[in-house]
Amino acid sequence: MTITFQPSAFSGLVDRDNGLVSREIFVNHDIYAEEQERIFTRAWLFVGHESQVAKPGDFFISSMGEESVILCRDRQGEVHVFLNSCTHRGMKVCRYDEGNTPIFTCPYHGWSFATDGSLVGVPYYKDAYHEELDKSEWGLLRVPRMTNYKGGIWASWDPQAPDFLEYIGGFRTYLDILFDGWDGAEGGTEIIGGIEKWLVPSNWKFPAENFIGDRYHNISHRSVDLVGIGPSGQGRRDNRERDGAKSLDVSFPERGHGTVIFLRPADAQPVQSYQNDPIVAEYFYACEIARKERQGELWRILGGPGTIFPNMSYLPRQPRSIAVWHPRGPDQTEVWRWFLVDRSAPPEVKEFLRQYYIRYSGPSGLTEQDDMENWNYAHAASRGAMARRLRYNYQMGQGYAVDDFEDGGLHLPGTVLDTTKARAGEQNQRTFYTRWADFMAARDWDELAGWRNGKSANGHAAQGNGAAGR
Amino acid sequence: MVTDNVTANDAVARLLLRQDVEAFLYHEANLLDERQYDDWLDLLTDDVRYWVPMRRNVKFGELEREFTREGQDINWFDEGKPTLIQRVQQIQTGVHWAEEPLSRLAHLVTNVEITDVQPDAADAGEVSLRCRFIIYRNRVQTETDILVGRREDTLRREDGQWRIARRKVLLDQNVLLAKNLTFFF
Amino acid sequence: MADIVNLMELESGQAVRLDNDATAEIVSNPGDGVWLFVRYLSHPDDPAQVGVEDMVFAQVITEVLSE
Repeated sequence: MTITFQPSAFSGLVDRDNGLVSREIFVNHDIYAEEQERIFTRAWLFVGHESQVAKPGDFFISSMGEESVILCRDRQGEVHVFLNSCTHRGMKVCRYDEGNTPIFTCPYHGWSFATDGSLVGVPYYKDAYHEELDKSEWGLLRVPRMTNYKGGIWASWDPQAPDFLEYIGGFRTYLDILFDGWDGAEGGTEIIGGIEKWLVPSNWKFPAENFIGDRYHNISHRSVDLVGIGPSGQGRRDNRERDGAKSLDVSFPERGHGTVIFLRPADAQPVQSYQNDPIVAEYFYACEIARKERQGELWRILGGPGTIFPNMSYLPRQPRSIAVWHPRGPDQTEVWRWFLVDRSAPPEVKEFLRQYYIRYSGPSGLTEQDDMENWNYAHAASRGAMARRLRYNYQMGQGYAVDDFEDGGLHLPGTVLDTTKARAGEQNQRTFYTRWADFMAARDWDELAGWRNGKSANGHAAQGNGAAGR
Repeated sequence: MVTDNVTANDAVARLLLRQDVEAFLYHEANLLDERQYDDWLDLLTDDVRYWVPMRRNVKFGELEREFTREGQDINWFDEGKPTLIQRVQQIQTGVHWAEEPLSRLAHLVTNVEITDVQPDAADAGEVSLRCRFIIYRNRVQTETDILVGRREDTLRREDGQWRIARRKVLLDQNVLLAKNLTFFF
Repeated sequence: MADIVNLMELESGQAVRLDNDATAEIVSNPGDGVWLFVRYLSHPDDPAQVGVEDMVFAQVITEVLSE
């Protein structure tokens, strides 16, 4: 997909060198409209999990940017993603959230599509179309790029987009923590039934940058920390496993992804966690031992919140969930949240986690309620004629990140800001907006894949693709 | 005549029970609107079940899949008293930003129907009922949510007063239109 | 209403008549209320269609022949 006009209008909105971002990119309607073109039709977007479409004919209605899409498994067992819009007159061919069906029939004029997207039913095909309509040309619009990575289904509307694994690059080391089983088994996760969907009156980038690594906003969660909802009965999470660990903010400026992690000391051993329930405690302890066995040095990495550019965020440990921030106008975001558990976990563990997820996350979660309040009114207070002339400050920790982080022989992929002593930094947020500016400026994926020639679209030095290891 | 007297007595008992139950529901709604959360918690049995499923768009004939399942799926709420107490404690910290400043709430309860009484109306120990609710929430300056739905409650008489033993809330929304659910249904 | 067939109520094995006088047995019902998968039992316009499977549209189904 090639953008035809030059985006001089967007230059200067993100001042990478000085860590400043114009508020216009959050509140301006024209910029929002351009984001739909330049970001959401070109980037890889998270669509759903394969366990949601386990059987032939299973479908799940998802969203890519503003648009409704159908994730489904066809009769032959192949997974597809289609635009949920009849090719005849645009009606949604499916208005159910999920289910199983042999065909998707448009209720307007009756065109009907098989689960592989092909147009199979055209009313009065002989009499009205004289059999001259080429049905093979009028199937549902299919995403040109789709991948199933460890159960996560991702798609891009851009045929030129790099392969998903190239898109995430070295971030794969960290994303794997989300999708692999707790014991490190590849893709050993499944979705718990029930996808949370709710509206937040805020620009989609607020939650995306929050999840990419905002350790600074801990004060937001003071009330839940005081109450203590964590799996061990304290705080909001279980942090025993972090004892002695380094706090690191890891980002990939040339790709836009980032996460916070905790790196245990080289001589660390698995610790007992989730002490409120002996079955749960035993399960996770056994998993930790198995993972250490399986992953060696990489076991030292404890995952934290992260964002895959542009709008997929996640929590890889507990609560283990995926959030997608669907843009719904500059002033509104529709959040969808999936919850993950180990497929092979005993029922007691799944139930323990289900209860914890509900009390932590989403509009009813004691933790996230306060996030939404902040995103709501930060956005609202940035919209005014004067307020939007200001810029947000992302200068924390600028100049302190390194590209060759090594600890105890373990080399971490990505640009790393050590926040162990600093407690917080904004390297990851700078990464996010640097990439945002790349997407808004770049003509095509030749420019966006700056790592291929050592330069990003914005001209900053790009970093290699290497995975973690000694 | 005996039969008529029994019938009349029974009708009076049912009328009084209905009056009693409605008065309880209005009292409860008032506690929530007056932010008397500790008093509200006292109206819940220790083994209370509080369940608010999420709601799917499903095909005709598949309505059994409309609601997320209690005890199995992710729900808006699916919990007992300990978590409800924590929610109250959080509001009472004074630093729960989503409820600071406190929202203004009005619970309107209507269409009350008693669906089951145990053992009987004259000596009711447990009552099941359904009703409709409108919850109006207004906070900060102009932020307003209106949530409408059905409720199915089970009340149990403990120490001479009604307590809520079970509450099932069927909210008439798919994508939740409120940014959070910091209040009680 | 009485003359209009509600496809939602039909099952495999039942037969229907179409507005071109063809008759067909329902192979499967996709449950969308709009289409049926059928096999032709008779087809006055084109006898070669007998035995052939097809998708038929609700608006051309005139009658249910068997319960």
